[in-house]
Amino acid sequence: MGCAGWRAAFLGHDAVARRLNIPVTSLPLDGVDSTQWSSGADEARARLTAALTAVGRGDRVAMRQVYDMTAAKLFGICLRICGERASAEDVLQTVYIKVWERAGQFDAARASPITWLATIARNGAIDWRRSVAGRAVRDTLPEQASFAVADDSPLADQSLVAAEDGARLHHCLDELEERSRTSIRAAFFDGSTYAELAERENVPLGTMKSWIRRGLLRLKDCLGDG
Amino acid sequence: MDDHLTPAEERDALAAELALGLLEGQARADALRLALSDPAFAAQVAAWEAKLAPLHDEWADVEPGATVWSGIERQLTDAPNDKVTAIETRLRRWRAGALLSGAVAAALAFVMITQPVPPPTPAAPQLAVARIESNAAGPLVLARYNQSNGLMQLRIQGFESGTLAPELWVIPEGGPPVSLGQIGHAGEAEMTMPPPHRLLMTEGATLAITMEPVSKTPHPAPSSAAVASGKIITI
Repeated sequence: MGCAGWRAAFLGHDAVARRLNIPVTSLPLDGVDSTQWSSGADEARARLTAALTAVGRGDRVAMRQVYDMTAAKLFGICLRICGERASAEDVLQTVYIKVWERAGQFDAARASPITWLATIARNGAIDWRRSVAGRAVRDTLPEQASFAVADDSPLADQSLVAAEDGARLHHCLDELEERSRTSIRAAFFDGSTYAELAERENVPLGTMKSWIRRGLLRLKDCLGDG
Repeated sequence: MDDHLTPAEERDALAAELALGLLEGQARADALRLALSDPAFAAQVAAWEAKLAPLHDEWADVEPGATVWSGIERQLTDAPNDKVTAIETRLRRWRAGALLSGAVAAALAFVMITQPVPPPTPAAPQLAVARIESNAAGPLVLARYNQSNGLMQLRIQGFESGTLAPELWVIPEGGPPVSLGQIGHAGEAEMTMPPPHRLLMTEGATLAITMEPVSKTPHPAPSSAAVASGKIITI
């Protein structure tokens, strides 16, 4: 029946977490306009922006284009956070359906297209991890099932994301205590909860919260509000 | 926590935790609800997502299986901006079970009137009302819900026309938002609530409206902060 929104998704009751998919159109402007792009990245970004804008008008051909340009990246995100291929592929499908539905909200003046897409993918994967189904699947996975991603050093190439912002963020992360930095990065890339991080580092939950919260507030100071 | 954060720092740390996805269970549900009901907090969450965005450069690419695209393609039903198609689909699929408005409501009024309505039983609170409003002089929705027959009636005003449609949510105390479907930008609307949703219409629950892409079915969760909200009061 129509009004069964809360059962509509395989993510089940935890699907509320989709709230995390903040409309990235509301991202602040800071930094975005002042960035420098290598010409190749510039061109890729322009093509992706054009395709995504066309998707917002309901263009299926453009949808395929967006998929071809970004599926490997978004699947990398889903796989890393879900930890398992079949689930990650399910999540990836829901991510692109959201992209199809929300592309009309994408505003190229306010966010880079890949950031917009990656945020939807990461939030979708985290929704899944926090869902009943996700927890059940993950319980069956070997401990620390881990997929390749640079753990503490950024890759220098293929900057679809603003290089200047990246340099500033990495500088500020480097200023943090190592345990804060490592935990924040693990939260971002593994989609770990406080409880999982505390267990992994073998420290009390309160200690882990304190490391991360202090780290985040220092990070904000360093990045500045501008 | 013992770090002596000021309330403002505490709030900002919560926004960062939600953006990073560190929370789970009740804490996560509470933070999500706050983000839905408080646009300032939602903006803080978005700001944290933006701060951390450069990290998205570091994911390792992995090729998904070839079947993923065909699964997606099958689900690309309505063009998002093809309003006529979307409305027709909604009409077909929602029928009397979902919120309808304007011309659609008028078209279905006959159906609703002819449905048998159980006689009211004089007991307990019968009527729930809510004034769903924004801080500024923006959208306003008055909701009236009859517990005895499950009929929800709305008077809607002040939404700007655009590509997004207002979607109505009920947020139980301590629970996640549940969509009651999309409504019109202005006018009157009514629906008969499906039985599972009736249980949510209790004193203290919140009704909220977010602006969402036109969808043939209610969204499983809001994609943006509420533009208006109000508590349910039973009479």
